[in-house]
Amino acid sequence: MKKKFRMIHDENLCIGCQACSVACRSENDVPDNVFRMQVQIETKGIFPDLKMNMQRHSCVMCEDAPCVTVCPTGASFQTKDGLVQIDHRLCVSCKYCVVACPYDARFMNPITKNIEKCTFCYSNRVSKGLEPACVTVCPTDALVFGDINDTTSEVYKKAKESNLLYPKANLGTKPKVAFVPNKKGVSYE
Amino acid sequence: MNNVWGSMAQYDVINWPWPIAVYLFLAGASAGSIIIALLVKWNRHDKEVATIWDAMVKAGALISPLTIIVGLILLILDLGKPLSFYWLLISYNFESVMTLGVIALFLYTPLSLVFTALIFEDVIKKNALLSIIYPVVNYVKSYSKYAKKIEYVLFFLALIVGAYTGFLLSANMSIPMWNSPILPILFLASGISAGIAGNILVGMLFFKSSINKESIKYLLMLDLRVIMLEIPLLCLLFIGMFYSGGAAKVSAMQALSVGNWALVFWVGVIAVGLVAPVVIALTALKNHDYKVKFILFNSIVVLIGVILLRFYIVYAGQIFTGAI
Ligand code: SF4
Ligand code: SF4
Repeated sequence: MKKKFRMIHDENLCIGCQACSVACRSENDVPDNVFRMQVQIETKGIFPDLKMNMQRHSCVMCEDAPCVTVCPTGASFQTKDGLVQIDHRLCVSCKYCVVACPYDARFMNPITKNIEKCTFCYSNRVSKGLEPACVTVCPTDALVFGDINDTTSEVYKKAKESNLLYPKANLGTKPKVAFVPNKKGVSYE
Repeated sequence: MNNVWGSMAQYDVINWPWPIAVYLFLAGASAGSIIIALLVKWNRHDKEVATIWDAMVKAGALISPLTIIVGLILLILDLGKPLSFYWLLISYNFESVMTLGVIALFLYTPLSLVFTALIFEDVIKKNALLSIIYPVVNYVKSYSKYAKKIEYVLFFLALIVGAYTGFLLSANMSIPMWNSPILPILFLASGISAGIAGNILVGMLFFKSSINKESIKYLLMLDLRVIMLEIPLLCLLFIGMFYSGGAAKVSAMQALSVGNWALVFWVGVIAVGLVAPVVIALTALKNHDYKVKFILFNSIVVLIGVILLRFYIVYAGQIFTGAI
């Protein structure tokens, strides 16, 4: 059966340590001041009733990906497993995909001038049966990754037991990165 | 700002900067000028030289290839990897508006040059330098029995070039000001307006025709009608954003009220580009008193308005996305 990858970020387990972001930088040679992924921390409430939300900011691997539709050369494409990747040879860096991505996930590498984003570490790790770098280093197991078609997988279990939400679900892009919303801290909504 | 996660700079980059805005203007002006030149040629031209009609056709034939070629050069230079631009010509994605635009431009640009060559046939023949390409012109002329058909194709392609730039932006769901069905019509209309203004300007400055009041009146009325169409289109663009609610509404409110871009909109696009030509038409150009300097001034304000409209849409769209 075709693989159906999912990544789940449990915002209750996340402590905002940025280990994932650092692991991503070293695994993927990301230059200074640009990021394939960040965990952005938003503080809400009034002291002392504070609440911190940790939100993963990265490509969410849309199934209906605007970046793939707009790309004039086919440089942005989906693999058989539905993962959105960039063929740097075909890419002319027109930045159409960068403006089209509703998740602000893409940027131009200031050194190579290539367009980059989170790839789920597809070519360097996942295609070899490993997990993405961010997932392996997470100290609290806030990140879970795998094939949701495989009923023995961690990600399958996590998906069953949690209330998953998808970022900007209203856009209909069908992301493959889900999150479990933060329930800790004061309720300040 | 909590800075645990690192720099946020990459999210604030204007990914499509000024060369894109200028390109959008040039493409619109190119399409507009040839649309007007062809309309004039088909409907008004009476083979008599030194009329304003003849000057309009010549101006269109000159503006159209020049603007599109300069625009395309800007477009290529703005690529992150300009030298790899040839992939745009050999690797297609027919779902992408950019690919469709590339194909249209690939046909439009050479055809507009052919049109120029035919209009300026005599000049090319006589000029010492240009006469080396005369055999080519002559060869093209041997197909003259298809001339009218080719003009229709060129006209159709110009409509596509004039409108596709709007579709190029409207295909972005992430930017509320662009993601609107109004944009292609608005861009086509303001491109035609720029075409009329550009043709009048170049026609009167370089092909010094006798100013026939009736004919200039016809053109100015045409421009006035297009401008009167642009005003409701602009209103519709923002009304659409307001009614979409959410991020689009926030985006519209900010774009109309915050900082220099709001100023560019109200002063540049509205006052200079749309209201001024209407006022000029109702005052200085009324009573058939067509003074050359007012006509030229009118053309210039129209062109400024059209350029600023492109700059405003490109920048304000990327800056005011409505994200909180
Ligand atoms: S998040 Fe952006 S870059 Fe990633 S697949 Fe979706 S549109 Fe493309
Ligand atoms: S920048 Fe590259 S990947 Fe993005 S749309 Fe342009 S050609 Fe495609």
